[in-house]
Amino acid sequence: MTSRVLVLGATGFIGKRVLGALGASGWASPVAASRRRANLAGADQTERVQLDATDAGQLRRAMEGVTAVVNCVLGNSRTIIEGARALFSVAGGMPRPPRIVHFSSMAVYGDAACEVDESAAPVGRLSAYGAAKFETERLAAANPSIVTLRPGIVYGPGGAQWSGRIAQLLYAHRLGDLGRGGDGYCNLVYIDDVAEAVLRALQSPEAEGKAFNLSLPDPPTWNEYLSRYAAALGAVPVSRIAHRRLRLESTLLAPPQKIAEIIAGKFSPPLARRLPQAIPPSLVRLFQQEIKLKVGLAEQVLGLRWTGLDQGLTETAAWYRPKDSNSAAMNSFAPH
Amino acid sequence: MIIDSYELPDGDALQADVCIIGAGAAGIAMALEFAGTGIEVLLLEAGGRGEESDTQALYAGSVAEARLHSPPDRYRQRRFGGTTTIWGGRCMPFDAIDFESRDYVPHSGWPLAREALLPYYARANRLCEAGEFSYTADEAFHRPTRPIIEGFASAHFTADTLERFSCPTDFAARYGHKLEAAANVRTVLHANVTGVRLNAAGRSVDHLTVRNLRGKSFTVRAAHYVLATGGLEAARLLLASRDVQQQGIGNQHDLVGRYYMCHLAGTIGAIKIERPASSVWHGYEISDEGIYCRRRFALREATQRSFKLGNFVARLHHPRISDPSHRNGVLSLLFLAQLFIPYEYRMRLAGAGSTRLTEWLQHLRNVALGSTDAAGFAWHLLRDRKLAERKFPTIIIHSKANLYSLDFHAEQQPNPLSRVSLSAETDALGMPRIHIDWRYTRGDVDTVSRSVALLADDFRQQRIGTFDYDPAGVESEMTRYGAFGGHHIGTARMGREPRSSVVNADCRIHEVGNLFIASSATFPTSSQANPTLTLIAFALRLSAHLKSLLQRPLPQPAVRSDALCEQT
Repeated sequence: MTSRVLVLGATGFIGKRVLGALGASGWASPVAASRRRANLAGADQTERVQLDATDAGQLRRAMEGVTAVVNCVLGNSRTIIEGARALFSVAGGMPRPPRIVHFSSMAVYGDAACEVDESAAPVGRLSAYGAAKFETERLAAANPSIVTLRPGIVYGPGGAQWSGRIAQLLYAHRLGDLGRGGDGYCNLVYIDDVAEAVLRALQSPEAEGKAFNLSLPDPPTWNEYLSRYAAALGAVPVSRIAHRRLRLESTLLAPPQKIAEIIAGKFSPPLARRLPQAIPPSLVRLFQQEIKLKVGLAEQVLGLRWTGLDQGLTETAAWYRPKDSNSAAMNSFAPH
Repeated sequence: MIIDSYELPDGDALQADVCIIGAGAAGIAMALEFAGTGIEVLLLEAGGRGEESDTQALYAGSVAEARLHSPPDRYRQRRFGGTTTIWGGRCMPFDAIDFESRDYVPHSGWPLAREALLPYYARANRLCEAGEFSYTADEAFHRPTRPIIEGFASAHFTADTLERFSCPTDFAARYGHKLEAAANVRTVLHANVTGVRLNAAGRSVDHLTVRNLRGKSFTVRAAHYVLATGGLEAARLLLASRDVQQQGIGNQHDLVGRYYMCHLAGTIGAIKIERPASSVWHGYEISDEGIYCRRRFALREATQRSFKLGNFVARLHHPRISDPSHRNGVLSLLFLAQLFIPYEYRMRLAGAGSTRLTEWLQHLRNVALGSTDAAGFAWHLLRDRKLAERKFPTIIIHSKANLYSLDFHAEQQPNPLSRVSLSAETDALGMPRIHIDWRYTRGDVDTVSRSVALLADDFRQQRIGTFDYDPAGVESEMTRYGAFGGHHIGTARMGREPRSSVVNADCRIHEVGNLFIASSATFPTSSQANPTLTLIAFALRLSAHLKSLLQRPLPQPAVRSDALCEQT
């Protein structure tokens, strides 16, 4: 008999891969949940349910008969917090609370510029996204059956934000060797490793109530990542991007680009996808942030092993390369 | 963190585990290695964040023959970042043969082989932002690259080795933020070391005396001291610190300041290649990492041995700029623009003597007739050099008529009579100024003249074209601009024996237990290669050695420590 596992946000980059991994596990039968019915259409036999994850009533119905829930819901701060609040409260009210694997983010560490383990407190002022994830972790603290995952930069085939967008910017030579602007660490974690972490978090008794960083143990700098990814993509020679140019782009160009993208998105999504990507100031700051996630706990408790960067980049580049650099569905860039 | 000595109280006493003197290529490279470790480091920098004329004037000195050597305050910068703030960025490692004791090169031989440096060369290359440590065309490129001259296969020269170019990276601008963030590394600006004080027995450094130009002084005590200055200043400081050892530190065998080498460089001859212009490529290839790389003709090791010559490389070069008979608008434009070019790079644009009015007019005529090419070149300079952070390294002019000259860069032999000594004059801080007596030998002339002859022979035998030059004029060509500026080598040479060397293979002064040198001063021979990459590799190797001496449990070295992160 297999366990029914409800995957919230099942149509996103991580959700889809988690769904696939659960389906292939042999011990789980996943139930895909998403807000939009259209996104749920699929040819396979996966059970699907349309729901608004912030609605406790809908959640309660969907969670009947499931033994576990994976929360990969994307959205704005309100959706993130309200979704988590609803989920945790419904689960807490169930006679046999399900195991919950909840996605948080390295954004909860704020501006930390050092090695951080899971006990590290945030540094500086959190971004809106980081603050929302931090709040969900605060809500989770009351519930011991929740396992929290804090991935770094999730990359891999299908990853719009850290693979598609970056590829597009590398091809356009708007990113490359960033000099002093790219000395931060890029805490990469391959999408398959994230899915594997979910499977193990669902099964491991010692994981209960714990949070786990997910990242390559010795992450490259952003400069190294961008150069190696560019090489894998064939987007060479890598361009040197002057720091002043990057700052200028992010402060002067990014706001009108973002506005144009939002307006175009309302009237013509295909047009919005063809617009050049913005490089927001938050990204420029991230490129410089010398934070390294310690991942010893995930290795010890979850027994995780990491996909090497070469392999990960080769597979990511193979996914991206055949496509027109402007056409990939890369417009949904909510961070994981 | 970075502090300024102007803010320290007069008479202060600073302490650290390691004190590094000089925040240039070597000093900053070393400090970065210590950042985030448990080792307390003081990095003393004589200058400030920019060039300051009163500080730079501390470098002034005299030269025995002005024709042969630039003034001592040129080609080196007394400021945060050191001479990386003006360097050209050419990177290449020393060759294996450079480390050998060669019976035909007097005083040659290092106490270690090239292999000892290999682990550090790769990191040095990254610090210089010169990409991967791969210095042959086959290794560096996964696609065919253009040969210098199609079909030219020389028995005496290889064209497979590369030089790679740094941005050129100004180490202060590039890595200053890391030093700023490193809690265990204190960089002190305006900290001029005026004396290295030994203990009474003369076996170890007791403290340093440090002064600034506003009259303050302080002392520094550390477990280990590293002189990470340039080759001239290292000798000056050792010779000037004579309170315990009267002949200067490490100088009991009168070696400090001797064996002073630069490189032998110049441009010679008129080459006419009898091939289609498309079969000649003397410019750059850009590697996948975005690095400018260039082939050159390098004298093979077997040829060096059999002909008993020093190391030598050469590149095809445009005809001499100052001579307007080249009729090239771009070259004439460069000649006319020389007033706007920094001194260190202007030297080779100017002619040997004064320019006649007719020559000025001929240059103007060349520019007028070649105005389209000149405008295109000016745009290239603006876009790819002036505005670019990774700068197009040198001037490359492709000749439609296949007319070139030969630009060479050769090893200078160690010679005890070529030396840096202290003069009777003192600077504003009371330090003796230096006096430079740079000399070359017959062997040096021989290396250049016979190498050039071998290349000319190879051209002739393979019917590449003509190479006209005056064999009797080689010496005057190789000294036309004097010693190659900025490469100050050999003044505190490395070796096994205290009788014939100043430092050992660990770069430590033989007689002094805790004084090290990270500088091209320690190179016993000069190679054909520019010294920066190798001196950084040695600095990194020395950092590893000092870490092992301090034998402390070290946290992960790559991460900066940050007080903010301890709020857990």
